[in-house]
Amino acid sequence: MKGLLRKIIMEVRWPVLVFGFGLAVILSVLTALVPRILRDMGALLGFLPWLRPIFTAMMGMDPQNLSPRELMQAFLWVHPTVLSIIWAHELMFTSRIPAGEIDRGTVDFLLGLPISRWKLYLAETTGFLLTGVTIIGLGYSGHLITTLFLQPDMRPQMILTVYIVSNLLAVYLAVGGLSFLVSSFCDRRGKAIGVMFAMLLISFLLNFLAQFWEPAKTIAVLSIMEYYRPAIIIQEEAFATKNVLILVVIGLTAWIAGGVVFRRRSVCTV
Amino acid sequence: MTVLSTSNLSRSYGSRRGVDDINLTLQKGEVFGFLGPNGAGKSTTIRLLLGFLRPSSGSASILGMDCWSRSHLIKRDVGYVAGDVRLYPWLTARRAFQIVSEIRGTPLHREGMQLAERFRLEPDLPVRKMSRGNRQKVALVLALVHRPKLVILDEPTSGLDPLMQATLADCLREMAVDGHSIFFSSHTLSEVEDLCDRVAIVKDGRIVEDSNLNRLKTQAPRIAKIRYCDADTAARCEPPPGIVVTRTTGAECELQLTGEAAELNRWAAGQQIEDISIGPPDLETLFHRWYDVANPLGEDS
Repeated sequence: MKGLLRKIIMEVRWPVLVFGFGLAVILSVLTALVPRILRDMGALLGFLPWLRPIFTAMMGMDPQNLSPRELMQAFLWVHPTVLSIIWAHELMFTSRIPAGEIDRGTVDFLLGLPISRWKLYLAETTGFLLTGVTIIGLGYSGHLITTLFLQPDMRPQMILTVYIVSNLLAVYLAVGGLSFLVSSFCDRRGKAIGVMFAMLLISFLLNFLAQFWEPAKTIAVLSIMEYYRPAIIIQEEAFATKNVLILVVIGLTAWIAGGVVFRRRSVCTV
Repeated sequence: MTVLSTSNLSRSYGSRRGVDDINLTLQKGEVFGFLGPNGAGKSTTIRLLLGFLRPSSGSASILGMDCWSRSHLIKRDVGYVAGDVRLYPWLTARRAFQIVSEIRGTPLHREGMQLAERFRLEPDLPVRKMSRGNRQKVALVLALVHRPKLVILDEPTSGLDPLMQATLADCLREMAVDGHSIFFSSHTLSEVEDLCDRVAIVKDGRIVEDSNLNRLKTQAPRIAKIRYCDADTAARCEPPPGIVVTRTTGAECELQLTGEAAELNRWAAGQQIEDISIGPPDLETLFHRWYDVANPLGEDS
């Protein structure tokens, strides 16, 4: 396992640092700017009424039911840039095995070594978890440092942020598990990323449409975003146990299925 | 001791045939040549042996373990070089020794550096800056460094200069003497002829010949040249059955025979000739005959 982890680190260290520090900077900037923009939410929505459904779709509840501080805290963690950075890292990482290795022709070398496919899969998963925690941790740090400079009435409740980040990590696991499964079927990395990107996009749109279109509401449970509601965590001041559990089960089931497919399929560069 | 064996090993890619009913065995210390042109099924067979591909039917085992279900255990004692070597761009030989040592659980740095020196490989040059030949050397060194019981090489000399080809051949001979088995796939007959004890020829996914190299040589045609004292005598040349005159140029006749030259020698002793030369068995011609689609030797014989 040590040799495999060394290989993974050699390959992903720079992208992970770029994504991690990028997320830290973005969350830091958002933490500093969003309170100024959202301080007078009522006036903003009066001036730009079309923003209301967008906010509702992003957070899963009407923004006018939240105080400016709550709104800021919820909005930060559902911001498309934040999710895009995390998902971009996920798709790049989880498509490495087996799709990426087959695509670049190195799978022959890798499978020529005395390692079981499960062990390879586990090593990649370990790398995936460590890099995910690193990136989200760096992002959280950027947010945390910036909150020290906010006006006291806008400083978020730290425990609630921890709950939100935990829910975000569960989303990370679910998307990662599904992405590992997609990759295990693919021989081309681009295809694996493309399929997963389409799934995320559909998931995002489904969540958005469900706010205005009745038929979409019935299938909104299929959207990952349905189980990630920072605004509700803030309002209820409780850990989203059910959502986290659902996301973890989705991720774990898909991950196991991906491992079984990878173990059983024929793999080579032909 | 049987190191490798396959039993009716087959693999198809949908409607396209990969390999069909491959039966092979490889003994300890044997150097086995697996010969065939591009697309004949050599690489598919190797990928089945290494557990990359799942057989459609039949089975293969290495060191008594099933090649599909026990693939990772087999590779402890196997060294493998792919036909089209592709490595990570950031990898250097030195870093590769470290990673492979950790994966194999044995320190291989010292042996690796010795082999790198033998193959004239720069240990700190990353793969992205290497020529094709140097990449091939890295793969070879990594396949040989743990002194595997079985070395599987898929066209390993492609990209290597003649000097390195000779170095590789020396390495493999030394390993064979020490009891290591070599499975050497190639489409070049001469390198197989130089190195191998036994040869299997694969055509369209099937083994069409599996024979000891010496036995194969007895089937191969040989060219003999006889120079008579004058052109008239040469024109009247009538060799015994089994030997044919292929060309007559002035006082010189070119004859083709198969197998031992005893018959030709006996006949030549009674002829008025000035000079005679008998060439070695021409495996190249035999090989070409196997692949002559219009007249396949396998079907004739």
